[in-house]
Amino acid sequence: MARRHFPDMLLGLAPILMLIALWQVIVWSGTAPVALLPSPFSVFARFSAQLLRPEFHHEIAATLMRLFAGFAIAVVLGVSIGLAAAVKPVVDAVVKPLVRILAPVPKVALYPALLLTLGFDHASKISLVAADALFPILLATYYGASMVEQKLIWSAMAAGTPRAQIIWKIVLPASLPSILTGCRIGLVISSIVVFLAEMITSTDGLGHMLVQAARTFQTVDMFVPLITISLLGLILNAALHLLRRYLLKGFAEI
Amino acid sequence: MIAVENVSHRFETSGRQSHLALDDITLEITDGAFVSILGPSGCGKSTLLYIIGGFVKPTGGVARVQGRAITGPGPDRGPVFQEFALFPWKTVLGNVMYGPRQQRIPRAEAEVQVRRLIDMVGLKGYENFYPKELSGGMKQRVAIARTLAYNPSVLLMDEPFGALDAHTRTRLQNDLLNIWERDRKTVLFVTHAVDEAVFLSDKVIVMTRSPGRIKTIIDIDLPRPRKRAELLLDARYQNYVVAIERLIDDTGIDEAAR
Repeated sequence: MARRHFPDMLLGLAPILMLIALWQVIVWSGTAPVALLPSPFSVFARFSAQLLRPEFHHEIAATLMRLFAGFAIAVVLGVSIGLAAAVKPVVDAVVKPLVRILAPVPKVALYPALLLTLGFDHASKISLVAADALFPILLATYYGASMVEQKLIWSAMAAGTPRAQIIWKIVLPASLPSILTGCRIGLVISSIVVFLAEMITSTDGLGHMLVQAARTFQTVDMFVPLITISLLGLILNAALHLLRRYLLKGFAEI
Repeated sequence: MIAVENVSHRFETSGRQSHLALDDITLEITDGAFVSILGPSGCGKSTLLYIIGGFVKPTGGVARVQGRAITGPGPDRGPVFQEFALFPWKTVLGNVMYGPRQQRIPRAEAEVQVRRLIDMVGLKGYENFYPKELSGGMKQRVAIARTLAYNPSVLLMDEPFGALDAHTRTRLQNDLLNIWERDRKTVLFVTHAVDEAVFLSDKVIVMTRSPGRIKTIIDIDLPRPRKRAELLLDARYQNYVVAIERLIDDTGIDEAAR
């Protein structure tokens, strides 16, 4: 397995390197002035320099904290509401119209209202992240839980599992593949939304860093938070992938 | 004893039509008997099994176990399904441990019994495998062990060997009989294979197709313990198979003529 993974990883790295190469070619060609589009080398050099500064760590920590808090709330709410709706027709009847109305709403439109009610600090950003990540997780959980094989449930009930415990002992683990797929989408959305919220109104975080740099035409500094968030996304996705592989050991395809 | 009294089952199809799956079934199954329910597909034989399992409520009549009306599933009646229905997130050991743990048997004590059971169904050494890593026949062995682990007095087997190849099927039939000979649990065995029903059973219930009714109940008077090689040469066995196949053929013709 390890031998097969290695070339796969190299193959995955190739398009990223090509993208950076393309960036460099555009800089060389002079289509965009260097003042507006700095070369990738100067951006990565600044990025490495920033990595040593505690102020930069603070920005990353602020963004990550909001991202994780919002994502965690979305997972807890999405999984529990999704499971409950799949198992209990009463909950389904209440939740379904709400989801239909709220899912297509661009949550960022709620942000001004969230700012007014929750203030400019963490709470408003965390709420926005949670609101955006919630629906993919909820829907994935709902469909996963609705499709659990009836005979798994019967087998557990015959073995003596009370009906009330079926949801935790059977439905939840059986729909785990679907739930984790929803989480993966939710995590990507969380990274986007936390950045967006910080760009709109914030006093710290990577999004705020980008806006500050843009306002003062410090283009190299503008690209640093962009690279940081995409690297963070890469790392988080890899972590979730490992968790998924561990949790879904017994399932047919991962 | 299992008693089925005037049980009918009607369900709504997706086309809003009502379909009578079982029509006025009455039968009694004595403790320790191996009884097969045989019939063409769509005759409601699985539905009858699910009603006795307590998974499906009949729309008419009542089914009883030891005199009590069945209101839901219980560990006194253990199902084995054609689809195996193993928990994919649990290992072989975890699957078989499930029932005893639900019965609140302490882990260490349960594990001793469970390992013995896994050995008995021929899966020693596979305790830490996941179901996806096993063949169909092995999966069904795990499913049988999982059900035996909570020691039900009745086994409800729903075409358990229907998804297996002929060779695996034969081996599992032999092994099932050997296991059954040890403690003679009551077995209700749904199948559409005539030879399988005759080989395994004390009694074969032949059903007609939609609506499912009992056509005949045939006592299989063959000596036990049964050996396949001897039985195949036994004229009595052959006569049972031929007679029942004719009955089923009749049912088929009835269906075609309608």
